[in-house]
This record gives sequence, C-alpha cells and structure tokens, in this order.
Amino acid sequence: MSVSVEEFIGELQRKAERGELLYIGQSLRRIDDLEKVLGKPIYTNDLLPRETLYARLVLSKQPHAILKGIGVARAISYPTVKAVLTYQDIPGENISSTIIPDRPLFAFEKVRSTGDIVAAVIAENERRAAEATELVDVQYEPLPAVFDPIEAMKPDAPKVHSEGNVIKHMKVRKGDVEKGFQDSDIIVENTFRTQFQDAVPLEAETALAIPRDNGKLLIIGSMQTPHHVQAAVARVLGRPLEDIEVIQAVTGGAFGPKSDEPPYDVSSIAALGAIKTGRPVLMSMTRKESMIAHTKRHPAIIHHKTGVKSNGRLVASEVQIVLDGGAYASLGVLVIVRATFHANGPYDIPNVKNDGYKVYTNNTYTGSFRGFGAPQAIFAAEAQMDEIARKLNMDPLDLRLMNMLRPGSRTSTGQLMDDSCGLPECVDAVVSASNYREKRREYSQQSGKVRRGIGIAMLHHGNALGPEGNDYAYVHLSVEKNGRVHLGTALTEYGTGAVSGLAQIAASVLGIPLDYFVLDRPDTLAHHETGATVASRVTAIGGNAARDAAMKLKERATAVAARLLGVSPSDVRIVDGLAFVSGNPKRTVSWEEVVRAAYESGVELSVIGYYMAPQCVWDQETGLGSPYNQYTFGAAVAEVEVDVETGQYRVLNYYVAFDVGKAINPKNVIGQLYGGSVQGIGYAMMEELVHVNGKVVNPNLKDYYIPTSMDVPERMVPIIVEKPGSMGVYGAKIIAEPPIVLPAPAIRNAIMNAIGDGVNDLPITAEKVYRKAKELGLG
Amino acid sequence: MDRIRISFRLNGVEREAFVSPEERLLDMLRDDMGMKSVKEGCGTGDCGTCTVLVNGKPVLSCIMPAFQARGKEITTLEGLNEDSAMKVIQDKFREYHAAQCGFCTPAMEIVGYKLIKESDGVPSKEEVKEGISGVLCRCTGYYDIVDALRSAAEVIKK
Repeated sequence: MSVSVEEFIGELQRKAERGELLYIGQSLRRIDDLEKVLGKPIYTNDLLPRETLYARLVLSKQPHAILKGIGVARAISYPTVKAVLTYQDIPGENISSTIIPDRPLFAFEKVRSTGDIVAAVIAENERRAAEATELVDVQYEPLPAVFDPIEAMKPDAPKVHSEGNVIKHMKVRKGDVEKGFQDSDIIVENTFRTQFQDAVPLEAETALAIPRDNGKLLIIGSMQTPHHVQAAVARVLGRPLEDIEVIQAVTGGAFGPKSDEPPYDVSSIAALGAIKTGRPVLMSMTRKESMIAHTKRHPAIIHHKTGVKSNGRLVASEVQIVLDGGAYASLGVLVIVRATFHANGPYDIPNVKNDGYKVYTNNTYTGSFRGFGAPQAIFAAEAQMDEIARKLNMDPLDLRLMNMLRPGSRTSTGQLMDDSCGLPECVDAVVSASNYREKRREYSQQSGKVRRGIGIAMLHHGNALGPEGNDYAYVHLSVEKNGRVHLGTALTEYGTGAVSGLAQIAASVLGIPLDYFVLDRPDTLAHHETGATVASRVTAIGGNAARDAAMKLKERATAVAARLLGVSPSDVRIVDGLAFVSGNPKRTVSWEEVVRAAYESGVELSVIGYYMAPQCVWDQETGLGSPYNQYTFGAAVAEVEVDVETGQYRVLNYYVAFDVGKAINPKNVIGQLYGGSVQGIGYAMMEELVHVNGKVVNPNLKDYYIPTSMDVPERMVPIIVEKPGSMGVYGAKIIAEPPIVLPAPAIRNAIMNAIGDGVNDLPITAEKVYRKAKELGLG
Repeated sequence: MDRIRISFRLNGVEREAFVSPEERLLDMLRDDMGMKSVKEGCGTGDCGTCTVLVNGKPVLSCIMPAFQARGKEITTLEGLNEDSAMKVIQDKFREYHAAQCGFCTPAMEIVGYKLIKESDGVPSKEEVKEGISGVLCRCTGYYDIVDALRSAAEVIKK
C-alpha cells in the first residue's frame, strides 16, 4: 500500500498529538520471543560450558529428627564423584533464607522436613551423581513431629524450631465485631480448607556456577531476583558481593517460588561446588526434587463468622486464617499479611476482626506463589458470601451488589475507595456477558443426572508490595551508535512479557518503534539493585522507572534534534523514529541521524530511570490505614455441568473481567487472564501436593495433575476494564497474579448452584462432589 | 559399559553415535547433537516438553532409549526452522503471544506442525486441543496456542 507524502505527513502530525502515549494501549508484539519460538539455547541448562560437573541433592528422609551423622566416604569414592558437600563445607554462614534466618542451606544438627537438603553430590555426569546420593549415609534420631498447623499452635506441640511454632500473627481490628454481631439478624459460621499447590514452572529450579580466573564466580540461573541470589550466595560463601556476578538466564516459568528461597539453594550449592572443584557446576533440580524441596502454596484453614442484617447488609466479619508454613518462614511471613488484609473479600464492612497466623509444622515449606495468600483468603470469603446468601434466600449476586466496594466505600482497613475502584464495572461485565441472571433462574429448577450451575466471585487485590517492602525500580537505557536502544533492568522476565512492556513504554515516550529495542539480560554487575521481581509489579512500578529513563533520554535526544533542525527543543516532535518541527513534519531527521550527531558531539545517550512508590501508611497493631496505594479489581462467573451420579463436572464457560487501570499492552493482559485463570482452575479442581506424615507422596506430574489443553473451559471470555489508578504508570494496575484467585470460589459457587450445596475444601474433586451429592440424596 | 553404535537421520542428515544402553534419546539429542530446543520438564514422560518426531510421530525423548533411534528419522525444531509451514507457525505464535516463558514452545510447535500437516483443512478447536494435549503449558492456559495454531493452519492450508 502506498501513501502520498501528504498522507504520510498528516499521519505523523496526528501521531505526534498522542505525545508519550504513542504506543500505549497497543497489542504490540513482544520483543523477547523470537529466540523462544526458534528453540534457541537460552535457558540455563542450554548454556553449559565443557567440563561442567553436575550436582544432585540428598534430601532428608525424616520429617523431624536429630542429625546424628552424615557418612560421605562411600559416595566420595564412587566413580566420577568430585565432591560431596554438607554443612561442613560452608565457609560463610549456613543460611539460605529470605527474611527470617531460620533455614540452613545444608541441614545442621537436625532436620525439620523431608524437603531439607542434607548434602549434595557433585560428579562428572548426572547419573553418577544421582547414584552416589544413595551412598551418602545419613543417620537420624527421629523426633516427635507435627503436621497439622492447628495442632502445632498448641503449647505442648513439638517445636519445629527453638521458639514456639507461631511465626507470625497478623491482625486487622476495625470497629467492634462483638457489637456488630449483636446488631445482626443472623450469624453465619463456616470453616474452609485449602491444599498445598505446586507452582510447577515447566523449567525446575536450576543454576550454573562458573569459576573465574580471579577467584570470582559467575552464576547463571533461573530466578526472579538476581540481586537477592547474589546476596544469598555471598553470605554462604563468606565473600563480598562483588565477587559474585549473577545473571538471570531466560527463565522457564517462575510463579513465585523462584522469588523465594529455592534459587538461593541451587545457586549456593553450584557456587560451593565450583569453588571446591574449580570447575563449572550445574545444580539443576529434577522435577521430583523441585516438588519436594521448593516452596509451595500454603494450605490454609480459614474460619469465618459473619453478622448480617436480614436485608443482606454485612455488619461484622471475624476471620481466622491459619497457614501451614511448613518447616521454615520463607516469604510466607509476608503471605500471611496479604491473606489477612484480603480476608473479608472486596466488601465494605463496618466491623472487622481478622487474625492471621503463619505456623511452623514438619511439612515441606511453603512460601511465595502467584496470588500470595489471596487465593486462600478469597476462596473462603467468596464461598462464605454464597453461604450467607443461601441463609438469607437471596441471590448471591444481589448480596454482593449490596456490600461490594465502590467509589466512596471503605475496605476492611478503613481505606477509602476513590474513582479508580472499577469493581462495579467488572461485575456488570461478567454478569451481562454470562447472562448470569437468566441462567440462575433457569438452573434453579433442575432434576436428573446432569445439572448445570452458575456462580460468581469477585476480589480486590492490593497493588504491588504495599506492606511487603519498598516499592522501587531502576531501568537503564543506553543507545548504541547505530540507534539501537538497550533496556536493562534487574526486574526480570519469566513469561509475562512485562519487560518487553517496559521497552514499549520507553519506545512510546521516545517516539521510536519498539523494534529498535534490545533487552539486556538482568545482571548484578550491570544493573542497579531494584528490589524483588514479585507482586506483579514490573509494569506498574517498573513502568514508571522506564518512563523516567525515557524522559531523560528524550530530553537529550530532543536537544540534538533541535540543533539539527535549527529550532528550539520545545518545537521538536519525534514520532516513529523521525524527528521534525511540530506542525511542520515536512522536514525530518531520523533517529539514527540524531544518535550519530549525539555521538559526534559528546552527548551521552545513557540514562538510569528511577521510581519509588509513595509509602503506605497503616497501623501495625490494628492494620488500619492504607496498606496499598491502589487496588486491582476483578470478577468472574463460572458455569459448570455436574453429573450428580459420578460427581464429575466440567467448566463449560468462564467469564472474567479485571480492572487493570490501563492496559499498556492488552494482548499481554489477556495472556495473564487466560493463563492465571487456568492455573486457578487447576487449584480449584485437581491440584494437590499430598503430604502423609510429612512426606510428599506425589512429587511428579503423573500423580500431581495440572490442567492440560483438554481440561480448560470450552469458552473463556476475558474482559479488560480500565479505571486508572494513582500509582502505576499511566494508571496501570497489577494483573499477573489476581486471575489465579477467582476460579476456585466461582467454580465452587457454580457447583453449589447446580447441586444445592458447596464443597468447602480444595481441590473440588469429582469424589468430593460425588459425596456431597450423595449427602444431598441426589444421584 | 559397552556402548552401542547406532546410525540414524537427524533433521535430514545421516548421523552416528555411540550410546550406552541406559542413555536417553533426550540426552543424546541435547548433549551430543546440540539440539537444545528439546527440553526436559519432568524426566518421567508426563509433561511433553521433550517431544520430538521419530519417523514423523511425536515421541517423548526422555523415556525413549537413545539406541532405539537406530535406523530412524528424528526431527527436532532445529530441523524445521527453515520449513515454510513451521515459519508460519512461529510467526503466529509471536502474533498471538503464544510463547510466554517459552519452555514448552518447541514441543508445542512440533506437535502443532504435525497436526496441521496431517489434517485436511483447518483443524477445529477441539482437534487442536486434542493434538497438543500431550504437552503441558503452565503459562498461557492454552487458548493463545490453540488460536495461533488454527490461524497458522489457515495460512498453510490456503
């Protein structure tokens, strides 16, 4: 298609009017996926130098025991074995922890779970290393163990660590719940339970350590936060940070565990091995090792007591959440904070009393995983809403409409909702897309073997770190002489496309096409420490830093362009890589010309952008205040078909709407709605890592089911709502995590609609539905 | 231990290898032949990320002994990167954002390629879902992959 010069000029002028929003809101292609679709060697295990040795783990066979001895002689003399590492081989501190230093890298004095690492064997190949692990002779003296977090809270329970088993108690206190219950017409009480969920990133935890000539180390690995790994390895090695360079390789899925302690383990073990042997060492967990030794989603026992007026108005909500922390604190001490803040669901309730506990047990440890406490909390809160609606003989949607957060209402911590509360729009969107009202009526009169049901769930999700830490980010931009722009940041990419989105933001501000950009690998040596890549914060928070960097760069580039065009910088516009005088795009200079002129005149085209979110202010004792700067909102409707004779059911349709503030790249947002929802469907319907007396009995993908392409709903309808927030770049809100939260309550409530009662413990397997149907005299 | 000498065709080229009896096809392809597109996601034949074509059929290379490759035609993504149909599939994966973390992508593209090659016309959504059901994806929820493959089929079958 050819365009005339006039048309071309007119188009440039029109685009110039969009200013820095030039490419915002467009579903541009990602710039990081070419190597992926070509199958190029980009992941850690594809990058092994010759001479690489392989490490394998010796995991504890006991859930709780005194470590009497570790015999390594037979393993060391096994063919090709180069080293057997235990706590005795640690030159620095034997700690592999994020927040509370309660977890040794290698078991010392005692083991507290079957996920504890006792030793690592390093050999010429993986098979030899694996065989030699069986020759490590570990002697245990078993101790009384505790596997139930409620039991673990009792004063006489076996102690997992030297202090009591309650690691953290988090509270919210608003109004007076006792008075609220007195003022209520009915009180509804229920207990809900959730399970261990494994994140199953398809690439398990892995790290490669390469010794350098100067006694320093390079670590290449699969991880979310390279600087945290650098600090963890330095602590174990007893070395200064600068001795250890960490580069994040392309990462084959992460979902939270790779922001927690598992990458510390694999990196530290590879590092210790590399120092001991003088050769590169790969510590790559097998699927089984990963499923036993990495962090999982906390099982929860959640009790709700709700006081309600007969018209449906919620008056008081008292919630107790007990999270099974497993043997170590991990990032779980923050998971309980988020769970407790979100425990009442997205509702305006005048009287609230929440108590959240993270408790040690002798199960394998739990920690960060997409949703970070929200999946458990919202499952219970939203199941409770349907239980209340049933008691009141109200439609669950009407109960929600009466109580949900809207502009002007207040959260459980008393935080005032402003215009950026898009929950009503999300609810409207899924209710109308799903034809909820009509179907609810239709499904209220069913008999026979196959019955359908429709259910709704909704949420609010505090954005980014909030009470979990300082929310800051750095993004580096640097222009090569040929005009290519390198974007570097220690914020990492592990599938979402968010870092490509940062380049999209920078491209939009600069006015040059996205394909001018190159993403540099996150590298502790090259990039500023920038906090953790967690809490879905790359776009919203990192986007502000990318914008800041691009603004700084644009100022310099514009000054050069102004000189070339002979006008003042304020008259220069840059669009699609062409600089011209505003209102007169006939004469243009190209981005390449501008860059060349900058290089020739000593103008430095290299900048660092920074952003720090406003501090969140809330009371430690009562939780009251504004723990988050802004909220994402979402609603989902699930439609199910249940065979009441077998309990088998499938999700026919799933409608999901999220208020994302501003979709920087809508296609990437939809990708999160699809992918997060399906991971949530796995959580709702099938996924459970089963522990029996502290041992994981299904640490493989044969016995632990995740959804295949045949398990997803026939139809999924993702909907984007945009109510700009105050913090995120261009009003963007976070979106990677929340979609995982809604399927469990929506599906649970849909089944309740179909058969007349709900299943209150996850996952909702066919067997549980079958039992429930039997109880109800169906089938 | 005795090593077995085998010859086979890999991506159209005659190759030879000495393999030990317990060596997996996956390891031979990755370590000896440099075919890094073949991924190990589980090592137990459950996730499908190690899928390659053996005599045109999808096979899990983590549970196939390498010596069984004797006399066979093995195809990995590296051998299809210049194939016009595969190029369309890869372009559609990019257009539909069907590669998120990318770890399952080579296997998804291979099973999708085979499905499209063998189907009459554009496969239905159900056919595509079934065709890729042996490969797990944890990022996309499969929808964008199914759409990308159907869109690719429309171009390829034109």
